[in-house]
Amino acid sequence: MNLALKELRRRPGRFATATVIITLIAILLMFLGSLLDGLIRSSTGAIRAQDVDAIVYSPAAQASFARSRIEPDVRARIEALPGVDEVGGLGVVQLGARVPGNGPRDLANIALFGYEIAPEGVPEPPTDGQAYADEVLEADGIEEGMTILVGPARTPVEVIGFVSDTSFNGQGGLWASEATWRTTLGDNRPDAQLADGVWQSLVVRGEADIAGQIDDATGGATDSYTVDDAVNAIPGVEEQQGTFNQIIGVTIAVALVVIGLFFALLTVERVNLYGVLKALGAKSLTIFGGLMVQAVVVTLVASTVAGLLVVLLDVAIPPGSIPIAVSAGSILSSTALLLLAAAVGCSFSLRRVLKVDPASAIGTTS
Amino acid sequence: MFLALKEMARAKTRFGLLVAAIALLVFLILFQQSLQNGLITGFVGAIRNQNAPVLVYSVDGQRVIQGSVITPELDAEVRSADGIGEVGLLGQGTFTGAPSGVAADSFDTTILGYELGPDGRGLGAPTELSAGRYPTSDFEAVASTGGDDEFAVGDTVVLQPGGFEVEVVGLADDVQLNVSATLFTSYDTWSGAVRSVNPDAGEPLPNVMLAAPAEGVTPDELVDSINAQSLDLDALTREDAASETPGVAQVQQSFQLIFLLYALVVPCVTGLFFLIVTFQKANSLTLLRAIGAPARRLVSALMIQVVIMITGGLVVGTALYFPLSQARLGGLSLRFETGAVIFWSVLLLTLGVASALVAARRVLRIDPIEATTGAGVGV
Repeated sequence: MNLALKELRRRPGRFATATVIITLIAILLMFLGSLLDGLIRSSTGAIRAQDVDAIVYSPAAQASFARSRIEPDVRARIEALPGVDEVGGLGVVQLGARVPGNGPRDLANIALFGYEIAPEGVPEPPTDGQAYADEVLEADGIEEGMTILVGPARTPVEVIGFVSDTSFNGQGGLWASEATWRTTLGDNRPDAQLADGVWQSLVVRGEADIAGQIDDATGGATDSYTVDDAVNAIPGVEEQQGTFNQIIGVTIAVALVVIGLFFALLTVERVNLYGVLKALGAKSLTIFGGLMVQAVVVTLVASTVAGLLVVLLDVAIPPGSIPIAVSAGSILSSTALLLLAAAVGCSFSLRRVLKVDPASAIGTTS
Repeated sequence: MFLALKEMARAKTRFGLLVAAIALLVFLILFQQSLQNGLITGFVGAIRNQNAPVLVYSVDGQRVIQGSVITPELDAEVRSADGIGEVGLLGQGTFTGAPSGVAADSFDTTILGYELGPDGRGLGAPTELSAGRYPTSDFEAVASTGGDDEFAVGDTVVLQPGGFEVEVVGLADDVQLNVSATLFTSYDTWSGAVRSVNPDAGEPLPNVMLAAPAEGVTPDELVDSINAQSLDLDALTREDAASETPGVAQVQQSFQLIFLLYALVVPCVTGLFFLIVTFQKANSLTLLRAIGAPARRLVSALMIQVVIMITGGLVVGTALYFPLSQARLGGLSLRFETGAVIFWSVLLLTLGVASALVAARRVLRIDPIEATTGAGVGV
């Protein structure tokens, strides 16, 4: 073990190329993971923030707010269910907003929600004409106390505070009262306006399995989801996750092959030395342990450098371009996967180490 | 050459691992190239492959068709712009459609309504059909092909709820919007569809205006002319409208960064492999030099191995990619990108050979006299 670490300290150049390659692969992995997190986060924040047990859409809506409409009589049937504690309406309209101080064509993308039950981290519905804005909108120049003009009808909305992680479909969330939402929807999207009492969806608090109970009770007039299922039902979310996970998986396989290749070659190169070590009494497992330590150290160094570079990349990428969300979690999980790949890749050398004959120390072959 | 091939034949595992690593990387690059192109075509194929040279959004739409609303005032501004020739309206909405009318079979269906003209080829029509004919009356449509969900000629699409019906009379390739099945139908059919699913809806306004320049005017000149009419208008050429749809540029930037990293990894892996192999063969190479083998021959053997390894990786990687490129991934139709295969093959081969020059330099530095002293390739 000591010998392995000493070699790393005294001959770092020997490991430099492998470290650089693993660093590149680690950057790839961390970047892919952060990109996936960023895409999912910007698409699903508003749904994930719902502190409820079920989200209810109309049956043909395919979990789309824009295509869903829940009539007041359906809501009344849901409210009457014994397992239901609280029911609130939820609706959204996605529009551009003119921000004071920005150019006339420089609009902020907003998703204005009307809500009755406050999502996690969002205060109770504000006074009509006011809204809480998602902090991602700060990058568009939106500030607390500012009145922005929403949509082609220039509906004024005053921003009275900021909330976090409530974006929807890549647009910053704006959380307002029912009246503000209905006014904004009707004024700007007449084709999507809804009669009073009609909501795009309902959020329900109650028993854990309330979603199924609601659909049974309404006789197919609703399509209800748990929050997790509603997140996955957002078009593209599952496809994005599946595709990215496959790419990450193959990249891990590449890392495994690279690490395996490097340490296999390193072992071949040092077969004579291992013969001498064995002749002096070193056990095969000690030698292999040294290789494993080197693989782990190289991978840790590469992952640390990659983690720092990805954080720098995150800082350097301007807001609104590549939607990456770098987190300690994604860096640590990528590092863990690489360490696993390093251990597996390095174990390819075990057979070769075991085959080394101590007698080779006094001969010419091994 | 003989020596190079012999060595590879005797160390199959070692060289096989390198081919496997390169093949996996090539497969990943090509797969992601197909994924990128499939995503972009799925997102904006309907914009790219329709026949209007200029699309006019409202600034509020932020270059998203469904987000844009053209008010009567904006409509008048566009029609009075200098250099304008033909003008049309486009409406878009996303619905739940069932090809058989059975609600359980339904899926996301985008409807694009345009003014058909006498032969169904008015501004906004798909540039070409792969089957059937253009719609010539209301309630007829051309449907996109590709993706998990698609319609066939003769299908009657029933929109849910409301039961509004549209008959598919033609098919067109690469005309999806938002990665969903897309129907090109008359403007009035779209308008009727909007009202059918939302009885509370007011009169739908067009989302986008479509324009063709007058004779002697280029699309770019028409774009400038329309944009000069009002700060609330956002005119774009067809190509710009496709590439500047929100999300498209981000997808391209993300993939470019990923491709750059992969392009760096391949030569690094190749270079590392041959550098280590050269170190390992130090004694043999020195001996060969001592018995008269010219350095050029040893370098040639090295380069032959590099080319064979990378070519092997490219062939295996492309072979892995081929069946996947014929598949459908979610709502996306992937396709075999011949151009990408050629581009990446040339690039990776060049970079791989360049990376092996470090090992070649070591070979050239071998001093035959060191066969008598034991030293070989110096670090």
